Amino acid sequence: MASVKLLCMCALLLALCCCGSTREDLYPSGKDKRPTVQAGTIGPAVGQQAPDFTLPDIHGNPTTLSASAKLPTAKGVVIYFTMWCPTCDSEMSNMRDAVMPRFPNVIYYAVDYVSGSFDGARNSELDNGYAGSGFTTLVDTSQSVLNQYQATMSTTVVIDSAGVVRMNENYKDGAKLQEILGGLP
Amino acid sequence: MAIRLSKIVLAAALLLGAALFFSSESRAGSCCGGGGASALVLPKFSQGLVDLSFDSEKYHGFWNQDGKYTPDAPGSDLGQYRLNIGIAKRIAPRWQASMSMPYIWNINKYSGLSSRTDGLGDTAINLWYETYDRPRSVMSVSDWEDLLPTITIGTSLTVPTGISAYDNVQSSFDVTGRGFYRVDANALVDKTIHPVTISLLLSYGMYLERPVDREYGKYVQPYNKKLGDRMLGTLALGYISYLESRKVLTYTVSFSALQEAEGQINGEHDPTTGFRKESVAGTIALSSVDSDWTYKISWSHAIKEDGWGRNFPTTDITTLGVSYGFR
Repeated sequence: MASVKLLCMCALLLALCCCGSTREDLYPSGKDKRPTVQAGTIGPAVGQQAPDFTLPDIHGNPTTLSASAKLPTAKGVVIYFTMWCPTCDSEMSNMRDAVMPRFPNVIYYAVDYVSGSFDGARNSELDNGYAGSGFTTLVDTSQSVLNQYQATMSTTVVIDSAGVVRMNENYKDGAKLQEILGGLP
Repeated sequence: MAIRLSKIVLAAALLLGAALFFSSESRAGSCCGGGGASALVLPKFSQGLVDLSFDSEKYHGFWNQDGKYTPDAPGSDLGQYRLNIGIAKRIAPRWQASMSMPYIWNINKYSGLSSRTDGLGDTAINLWYETYDRPRSVMSVSDWEDLLPTITIGTSLTVPTGISAYDNVQSSFDVTGRGFYRVDANALVDKTIHPVTISLLLSYGMYLERPVDREYGKYVQPYNKKLGDRMLGTLALGYISYLESRKVLTYTVSFSALQEAEGQINGEHDPTTGFRKESVAGTIALSSVDSDWTYKISWSHAIKEDGWGRNFPTTDITTLGVSYGFR
């Protein structure tokens, strides 16, 4: 009887196991499924015109994306969405050490969408060692920019000086970001 | 004497279970996704086991890339809660199989954002082989053979049944699994000389490479990803005591060191990945000689000081569990 019960439990767990794994395609074909976008439309996808925004930095000074991208000294803008977590730190430190020195004429924004206030964002920036690091921390208290860019932790967006989105995906080893930045006009 | 020895065997098995219990590692909650299932090991003469436990894992900052302890964002309250169900079955005199699956709730509150999500975690399927015919728990040492430990070897398969970053999700808060298959080789060395038990668990795991074509629901240029190899060592020391009520109490303290090497993107090392974590834990388990029920409570603590980890959250895990063994 005990064995039957155990076998039933096994079957139930196995069924749950199978149900779980069918939700995600663990071995996709490798085909590029990114939707094609129409140039000139506004949106967060690669090839679209970047949605403009204005966010305050940790001192409350407003920063507007379109104004930053058009600065004569900037070839483009990198936006990194951070929640000050270990993954965020490892990726931001990799960007700081490996990417920023190679591409100094790019503006780097860290968008804090969790702290909810200038003070909170300032404290997080200090605690995590990014004060004066080359990142300008912007405070997205209402998560409006997070939603505009369909972003989450680790999302990295590159926008060129014409305001076109060149990259919008997770930060990985930094190679893709460097490739994109290297190709900016 | 026979009854007393069987009590010791039972207690030793509990300790052994406790040691493995701490092999459950999580990388979850606020950012990193995934709740791992723990492995179950049957006592030598047990035919089966059903285990139910509840973990409450609270986040208290993290170790950064340089191993420096860094607090979480001010005003944050981050937690992951797991209801784990596990079964184990003896399939031959020396062979046993087990399966554990967690259901996970991620409940995270920051000053400017709150999130509450849930879903299945990753499932662990384990196969164990006992290299011994009978338990080697002894009351005292009178012969060199009394010093011989029991060795159990096994393999585990982690099945990515959880919700991963490569699934159709919107946010990192939704993540309950890592999205990769993993195969582990395990060895458990255990010795009880009444009333003390010591056990050592060693584990080496390799993730299987997989293609990725989307991240948090957004399709991206396809690439291949592989997480780094994983090593785990847990050393547990236990003390067995007997109560007047014919119940057995076991107290266990353990130290675990977990390390994952750098992963790979398209065959190239990814320097942003890889982590290390060291933690201590304590467990109290209560069981009765007359009953097949065991109750346990444990607390696992990551030391919030520099150097005790790298690129990993520091968490405290409180666990309440109950198991029923079939003879």
